[in-house]
Amino acid sequence: MDAAALDALDDETFRLEVRRFVEAHYPPALRNPPKRLHWAENQVWYRLLAAHGWLAPGWPREYGGMGLSAAKQLIVIEEFERHGCARTNDHGVVMVGPLLIRYGSDAQKQFFLPKILSGEAIWCQGYSEPNAGSDLASLRTEAVIDGDDYVINGQKTWTTLATDANWIFLLVRTDKAAKKQEGISFLLVPMDSPGITVRPIINLELHDEFCEVFFDNVRVPRANLVGEENKGWTMAKALLGFERIFLGSPRQSAYALVRLKLLAERMGLAEDPTFQDRYTRLRLDLEDHKALYETFAAQLRRGEALGADVSMLKIHQSELFQRITEAMLEIAGENAGLLEPMEGNRALHPAGLFIQARPATIYGGSNEIQRNILAGSVLDLPAT
Amino acid sequence: MSPDADDALRLIRDSAAAIAPRQGDLGRIRALRFTRPGFDRAVWRQMAELGWLGLLVEEARGGSGLGLAEFCALAEELGAGLVPEPLIFAAAIAPILPDAAAVIGGERIVLPAWQEQPNTLAPGAATRFAGGRVSGAKHFIPMADGADAFLVATADGLALVEREAPGVTLDLAMTQDGGHFGTLALRNAPATPVPGRIEPALESITLALAATALGLMDRAFALTLDYLRTRRQFGRAIGSFQALQHRAADLKLQLELTRASVAAAAAAPSPAVISRAKARAAEASLLLTRQAIQLHGGIGYTDEYDVGLFLRKAMVIANLHGSAALHRARFAALAPDMTE
Ligand SMILES: Cc1cc2nc3c(=O)[nH]c(=O)nc-3n(C[C@H](O)[C@H](O)[C@H](O)COP(=O)(O)OP(=O)(O)OC[C@H]3O[C@@H](n4cnc5c(N)ncnc54)[C@H](O)[C@@H]3O)c2cc1C
Repeated sequence: MDAAALDALDDETFRLEVRRFVEAHYPPALRNPPKRLHWAENQVWYRLLAAHGWLAPGWPREYGGMGLSAAKQLIVIEEFERHGCARTNDHGVVMVGPLLIRYGSDAQKQFFLPKILSGEAIWCQGYSEPNAGSDLASLRTEAVIDGDDYVINGQKTWTTLATDANWIFLLVRTDKAAKKQEGISFLLVPMDSPGITVRPIINLELHDEFCEVFFDNVRVPRANLVGEENKGWTMAKALLGFERIFLGSPRQSAYALVRLKLLAERMGLAEDPTFQDRYTRLRLDLEDHKALYETFAAQLRRGEALGADVSMLKIHQSELFQRITEAMLEIAGENAGLLEPMEGNRALHPAGLFIQARPATIYGGSNEIQRNILAGSVLDLPAT
Repeated sequence: MSPDADDALRLIRDSAAAIAPRQGDLGRIRALRFTRPGFDRAVWRQMAELGWLGLLVEEARGGSGLGLAEFCALAEELGAGLVPEPLIFAAAIAPILPDAAAVIGGERIVLPAWQEQPNTLAPGAATRFAGGRVSGAKHFIPMADGADAFLVATADGLALVEREAPGVTLDLAMTQDGGHFGTLALRNAPATPVPGRIEPALESITLALAATALGLMDRAFALTLDYLRTRRQFGRAIGSFQALQHRAADLKLQLELTRASVAAAAAAPSPAVISRAKARAAEASLLLTRQAIQLHGGIGYTDEYDVGLFLRKAMVIANLHGSAALHRARFAALAPDMTE
């Protein structure tokens, strides 16, 4: 069934269609992965999604997306999470695609969008630096023009899955004299460029998921600049909207809630009134979150830019995810301390999910920063 | 509290610094993580020399006859140092062991094996002891791989089982802190009877776990305050942002409530106040260590930075000897509610 036909289905028929798709195609060995998978492990799923045209539910159809309604995008998320599908290397679909669709040159769109959809271009996000985290605009990695090239020097850090990526989208300083937000540009750089070194960092899951990326006289053609020079901050801010709605999607919480219920059943607490009240509260939080999410996703589908208020979604989702995993930890008894899933069952891993939920309030703009944004840009409260 | 008692506590804390210095680096702890048995026999003997294994054993039997206040002070320091040696478990049962001398001397390590279900304080009764043989299974024995013998709670009294005896198997599951839980399976394993009850020792361990949590909270908080003072963003120390100041103030409050609760229970122990302390310590230590990660940002989520080690320890301790919910329920059942 093509995307237009899928979008024309009523929601319940569509849900059954998604479920049928996942059950027919998702590799059983990859269900409920205890850690985020690397490209070598999850590319099967990426390529399957690509082959069936399911990779980019939110992209417009003219660029190879499904152009689904907000409600249907939600159904896709719910069904994938219920099944325990792995997250893919999704920076291309979630961030680079929307960036290029909005700001890219025709040549960039023609070159990159098909490569994202085919899995040829796998991306990582080069924003944060050791001294530019929350204060991203103070970043210092610089790019200097030399003939037809930019020459890049500096360091990025916390770069998720950089070892898997063959491209990095990078914020660099191109004007050191300007105000800090006004001297930043957006560059697309092949990871196999001479002068790039990647060092994986072991995270709290004891997994080599994020990395440091060093740039030593790395040359990239000027044609790899996105939009205008020194206008990178504006684009990055618009892109943060896409990142926040993605991180604000109920994906993680929906996944965790199903596992909370399984754990409660295993611990013999499913019928316990105290547990039921707590579970129902979390469930209601998730239902209301979905309703809020839908209003933002609908804005996007209408082609409207997201406002600063999308921070609400990111805050609520990440904290709901954490609260669900905290409930898991509390009811798990001694299993809360285990390094591996309980009884070899990957769906029962309270400790793992609890740790995995920790950084959700840090990455994508920490929740403190999101609250500052809400208070300042949305509520218009006076600055200190 | 009398000046003498204060001195005893100070002495204990000072002696703990030899093994777990408050400012020391955690290199030893890191090196032992995810190894077997996960702790160091040489350090164990050092602990014995410091008199820690006999701390609760009466003087006539070669111990130092101290009480729970001293035991908790020690546990707190060991918690602050994330010490992997299962001292509190061994020291708590030392008073009921028949040949205490070898245990107090550190030559022989005996650990309690009592639990048959998750999240309980009741020694399981499905394990049977008859005709000098024990059969049953015991779970969640911290650092079991380092034990020479186990003090096993059975429906027919306590039994001492040698690790190497026939019919004994031990399975290990790694824990987040780099240690492990042992599952002990006994099939007609030869054992010797031990008179006495294990319940009082289990209470002491429960309280010592609350004290351990207090120690690790204290250290994780100090680390976090340091970071708030030194890490700069937006041209200022992040600790100057009021949102973070309020967070730190709230954490301080939880830390001091935990300290007060543990001290109150150690001074006048009863199952009700021990439950109160454990319920507080379980929740507050998870809250504080979670927030410690958050306040560190990205670096808090790395394994190479120390703050995560405290979270992992809190995850293991929080539900050991009963979750916060279990202890709240026990408190409610045991403590008369004066407001009625
Ligand atoms: C798992 C993970 C994956 C990541 N992946 C990527 C990636 O792929 N690419 C990338 O570029 N980056 C990535 N990041 C980095 C992430 O964006 C930063 O960690 C985040 O922006 C915070 O920056 P920081 O770590 O420097 O913390 P800091 O900015 O130093 O913050 C430390 C603490 O101070 C608080 N704080 C800072 N400023 C204020 C303020 N004004 N008011 C109140 N509180 C404040 C923060 O909220 C935080 O609690 C990742 C991070 C993590 C944890």
